[in-house]
Amino acid sequence: MEDVIKSLGINGTLVAQIFHFIILLIFLRVVAFPPIVKVLEQRQTAIANNVAAAEEERKQAEALRQSYLADMQKAKEEAQAIIQQATKAGEAQAQQILEAARAEANRVKETALKEIEREKEKAVAELRDQVITLSVLVADKIIGKQITQDLQHGLVEEFIKEAGDLPC
Amino acid sequence: MKSIHEVEQTLNVWGFQPQITVPLLGEVQPKVIVMTWIVLILIALFTVAATRSMKVDRPGKLQLMVEEMFLFLRGLVYENMDYKKGAGLMCLIFTLFLFLLFCNLWGLVPTMMSPTASVNTTLGMALTVFFLVQVLGFRYKGIGFLKHFIQPSVFFLPIVIIEELSKPITLSLRLYGNIFAGEVLIAVLLGLFGLTADLLGGFVASVIWLAFSIFVGFVQAFIFTMLTIAYIGAATAQDH
Repeated sequence: MEDVIKSLGINGTLVAQIFHFIILLIFLRVVAFPPIVKVLEQRQTAIANNVAAAEEERKQAEALRQSYLADMQKAKEEAQAIIQQATKAGEAQAQQILEAARAEANRVKETALKEIEREKEKAVAELRDQVITLSVLVADKIIGKQITQDLQHGLVEEFIKEAGDLPC
Repeated sequence: MKSIHEVEQTLNVWGFQPQITVPLLGEVQPKVIVMTWIVLILIALFTVAATRSMKVDRPGKLQLMVEEMFLFLRGLVYENMDYKKGAGLMCLIFTLFLFLLFCNLWGLVPTMMSPTASVNTTLGMALTVFFLVQVLGFRYKGIGFLKHFIQPSVFFLPIVIIEELSKPITLSLRLYGNIFAGEVLIAVLLGLFGLTADLLGGFVASVIWLAFSIFVGFVQAFIFTMLTIAYIGAATAQDH
């Protein structure tokens, strides 16, 4: 055993090396190790936070999108309703105007008819008067006898009445 | 062309004695000790510089380097044991990897030497790991940890003992062999070509070997750390 150890060159250096390694271990444990672990943990936390925040924002964006879509749908429906209402109102107004025009036309026509009737009656009455006067003159000439104006008028009127209601 | 002893004597510009005797420890190799001190100082400077002003949002280059190393090792640890046990071991694993990596690479600097090119260093690390495995096994399993020595039957006891003892030995000799061979080959390549040959491209082999040694340094540090994790994971696992 001694020979093996000697031929391999194993000596007190071995103990010194173990000692050196332990010193290095302690040094790294105290100086280098904590910041590495800390920074890695911080990075892990930061990434986890970022992922969570991104997820949260995605959810919010989705909710916002849904609300926008709903708003747009509502606005569309309202616009549709307004258009329908306006169309209905327009149609109603057109109808109203048409009726008013029709009524006005009827009224004008009626008035015109009445006017015509009145004018006709007036003309007939005038004609009658003239016929009477003319008849009286004619009778005056033909008969040649003096009768009073009133009597003659009464006579002629009677005659015309007898002649009937012949249309002129 | 020089012999390897001539090259080594030429490279020993610092005048280290091969062995001196100090009180308490007995015989030691002063070159290994001094190189270890330098490596310790380098690691201290590196880690302090990297962790001096750590930022969460905009990490610097050194900080990223340390963080990536740490995360890589933590991934290995968490693959082999549960989080609660793993978190407590992270500092040890991180220190082990950093120490071995710096030790392996330091020997590539001219006239310097890897502390891991001495079997003392590697065996020291392996024994530390070995005792750590036993201690953690007892800590997490109590006296039941001893049961794995006689499973599946009591006749396996010598085999299991040999297996357990072979772990630190292979661990240390693998690392020592790789790094020491790297250093020897560097010296051999330096002696093989003189200065005149270097002008004609004799340095190419040396440069290629140095580049490969960087790779070997990383791989060996990784293997040592990985096996440590695996041993601890096996010793502390609740069910075999």
